[in-house]
Amino acid sequence: MIRALRAELVKVLRARVLLITAAAIVMFAIGGAAIVLTTAEPATSAAPGRGLTLEALAQAGGGTEIFLTAASFAGFFVFVVFVGAFAIEFGRGTFRTMSLRQPGRLRLLAGKMSGLLVFAAGALAVTEAATWVAARFIAPSQDVITDEWISLAGLVDGIADFGAALLWVAGYAVLGMTIAVLVRSVPVAFAVAIAWAGPIEHLLQDAWDAASRSFPGLLLEAFVAGGTPDVSALRAGLTVVLYMVAGATIAGISFSRRDMTA
Amino acid sequence: MTSTQETTSAKNRGNGSAVVIEGLTKHFGKRVAVDGLTLEVPIGVVAGFIGPNGAGKTTTMAMLLGLVAPTAGSATVLGHSLEDPSAYLGRVGALVESPAFWPGLTGAENLRVVATLAGHDVAKIPGVLNLVGLGERGADRFGSYSSGMKQRLGIAAALLGDPELLVLDEPTNGLDPAGINDMRQLIGRIAHDQRSVLVSSHILSELEQVCDWLIVIDRGSLLYQGPTDGFMGAASSSLSVASEHGSDRERLASIVRSQGLVAEPEGDLLVVQLDAGDARGTAVAISRAAAETGIVLAELHTRRPTLESHYLSILEGDDR
Repeated sequence: MIRALRAELVKVLRARVLLITAAAIVMFAIGGAAIVLTTAEPATSAAPGRGLTLEALAQAGGGTEIFLTAASFAGFFVFVVFVGAFAIEFGRGTFRTMSLRQPGRLRLLAGKMSGLLVFAAGALAVTEAATWVAARFIAPSQDVITDEWISLAGLVDGIADFGAALLWVAGYAVLGMTIAVLVRSVPVAFAVAIAWAGPIEHLLQDAWDAASRSFPGLLLEAFVAGGTPDVSALRAGLTVVLYMVAGATIAGISFSRRDMTA
Repeated sequence: MTSTQETTSAKNRGNGSAVVIEGLTKHFGKRVAVDGLTLEVPIGVVAGFIGPNGAGKTTTMAMLLGLVAPTAGSATVLGHSLEDPSAYLGRVGALVESPAFWPGLTGAENLRVVATLAGHDVAKIPGVLNLVGLGERGADRFGSYSSGMKQRLGIAAALLGDPELLVLDEPTNGLDPAGINDMRQLIGRIAHDQRSVLVSSHILSELEQVCDWLIVIDRGSLLYQGPTDGFMGAASSSLSVASEHGSDRERLASIVRSQGLVAEPEGDLLVVQLDAGDARGTAVAISRAAAETGIVLAELHTRRPTLESHYLSILEGDDR
């Protein structure tokens, strides 16, 4: 598995990928911080349960809370990226190339996932720091005092927010991998992922009360948002972990048992 | 026979063989891709694996490489059962179907991914790229390669681990004549030092020049396996004879028949089938008899069967 992880890092730790990632991080940090800060309202006028208040942003964890809130808007993008990262290996036949060098299919799949998550963790950490820096520059324009951000409590909150973001990414990653491994086709995997995470979950959410507590995409949204009126962050996180275990099991069985004909 | 018994049996026969296959079968739904195939590839040979499209060559190779699970039967590769590919794949280099790599990575980066995954020495990458003629293009993206260059990179990846057995499925696909010649020489070099090569190709003239062992299959079943000489030895030669003047052709045919031979017209030529034996002696007899009757021969030569012609005649016989 370690070799598969390292091989995956060889693919992603290239100048081209790193430059594109860096550009995306800068855009996300500035754009995300600006949007969250400019849309935040005073607690007295904010609608309950919607967005961050200016008072909450001034607390110790406010700087990294901005990162987490901005990230929550990118869930669909993260999901599609991971679906593509796995499905394209079938489309190009590169899973066949890799299987010839790593016949342990579970090790191969786990190694690839681990490599991507290591890269994602690094990117998340840099993004969190960049968003925090951008937010500090923008915050005074919104009368948000950031003195509390530079404190031990701020650091602890930042680490907790990083962990939440990483679990959130891992959830999308495992679900994306599961779809890709089951359908083994880039266009079909994208179609399934986009249809499910886009219209299907959200339409059913309107029609069925339990949808928010049941569907993985909605649970991931709820988790990274720190909970919703329908489901707490803890319950959302635990249910997401169950989905991840089930998805990884299904993907692992399928990947190790089916012929590698593509 | 149970699967365990079959594996044991294949293993017992595996001493001195790079590959031993016994009763290997693969069904894709109702379609039978490989049907009870039994064959052996001795260590140190270059084995040509030939058969028409859909004969089951690629599926057989994919089963040997752990990509496809057999429906029935057993096999050993380098003495290890097919059920445990991790025991032998590190000593096997392979290129199956088209070379599949990451188009955004350079040739060298692609090999680095493969070497890292397999635990091979990445320091060998420049040497392997040079060996396959990609030394100058290793820093270019795979997506910019021609199909021949992609094929060469596939071979380079197969050679990375200094393999004892090389399994190559249509390695000359997309190569130009010079590339095909390079590939032939490369395979010849690889075959030294007790290495074994199992290579399939549609270009039978290429296999004829490089293979010392042949496996012929059709519709998933074995038609022939053994030394190339043995395969070709079963094929009959013929003599092409032509007189100086076309008007003498009928008289020449009579002379040939008087020698107890069968002559068939083919354009200006008479083609004399030789069942076996001394082609040279027969040519001398025809030449002498023609001279005695005043016919001057403008052409007299032996047509030796090619691998392709003999292969096609076997397939035609199989169809009948």
